[in-house]
Amino acid sequence: MSTSPPPTNEEQPRDAAYWSSSGSSLKVTNIPSGALNLNVDGRQVVGPLQGFGQMWQKIYRIRLKADEGEGVPPLTAKEIIKTWKVNFPQFWPTGNRFYGPLTGIAPGEVALLSLSMPGGIRLSTGVLVLYADEESFTLMTPQGHVFAGWITFSANEVDDYIVVEAQVLMRANDPIYEIGLRFGGHKQENVFWQHTLKSLAAFFQRDAPVEMQVTCIDPRLQWSQSKNIWHNAAMRTVMYTMTAPTRWIRGKKS
Amino acid sequence: MAAKSLEAQVRHQPRVAIIDLHGEINAFAEDVLNKAYAEAESRRAEVILLNFSDVDYINSTGIALIVSLLARARKSKRRLLACGLSDHYVEIFQITRLVDFMSVFPDEKSALAEEGRASITSSPE
Repeated sequence: MSTSPPPTNEEQPRDAAYWSSSGSSLKVTNIPSGALNLNVDGRQVVGPLQGFGQMWQKIYRIRLKADEGEGVPPLTAKEIIKTWKVNFPQFWPTGNRFYGPLTGIAPGEVALLSLSMPGGIRLSTGVLVLYADEESFTLMTPQGHVFAGWITFSANEVDDYIVVEAQVLMRANDPIYEIGLRFGGHKQENVFWQHTLKSLAAFFQRDAPVEMQVTCIDPRLQWSQSKNIWHNAAMRTVMYTMTAPTRWIRGKKS
Repeated sequence: MAAKSLEAQVRHQPRVAIIDLHGEINAFAEDVLNKAYAEAESRRAEVILLNFSDVDYINSTGIALIVSLLARARKSKRRLLACGLSDHYVEIFQITRLVDFMSVFPDEKSALAEEGRASITSSPE
């Protein structure tokens, strides 16, 4: 799907094609081979205001030289984002799977995720592509995901460099996730996105340190949102896995 | 098309500070937005109204900036309102669920009228 701006007319804002128009409820239309549509279909997306825990803004940034010299192709911000959209899962740490939509990362598409959690637990969840243009794209999480919020990936040309960023605005979705984030979850997430940016740089035959800027925007807990625990995707994935033999026996009988 | 930078002016009324926004809200708008918000807070306004009627572009980074302002407002127990959004951006505010925490009005007049009614009903007799 192209993300070029729509033809200019007064009815249609010029960024209309960049935003998801599929509403706040997720609809999975295609399930890629190996993916599990659990905790995704029918779930509402949740922004950082709907979560339970402290609100954090985390920016992971890497500065890549636009022109590395002979033998290395020069880079543009648009080229990085185009490559990132197409090869998004390739840059993730091993053990985590991103089942992207068949049409690639485009506004309104839903991707299924299988994430590796501490203690060997797997977490099945998903994300909505909230926004995508030629220099950035944003993923928004649903109910039950570890955090309520969104992640914006962007690339900007600044002097002789391309500044590539992953910016997370998040709140733990429920009290269990909040505890998990405080006891190692935040660190794990930092490692995750640092790895992703380093891998992306390596793809373009470049290397640079990843800068990290972490700000607590709101230290308060939103106790009114503690009910979100009902949708906790980690617990639901564990229960789904534990009841697999029962489903198998039932399937045999019918 | 060249990006239009954001400009902001703050008008103070009793209890309410109005931030008139002009241009585009994207990653480059952070400083302008934060300065305008700080000025709006400076006279202890109970309500801050963001006037988007002259904003023609907001990207996802811009929405994140607005969320940050909303978090600041909630922390200091202020109400943050919005007015003048086009139908397109009202829909974006709905999808991103900003409307769960932020009342959105068609224009400044209706926002101030509603705020006036709210202050009357909430004030002690």
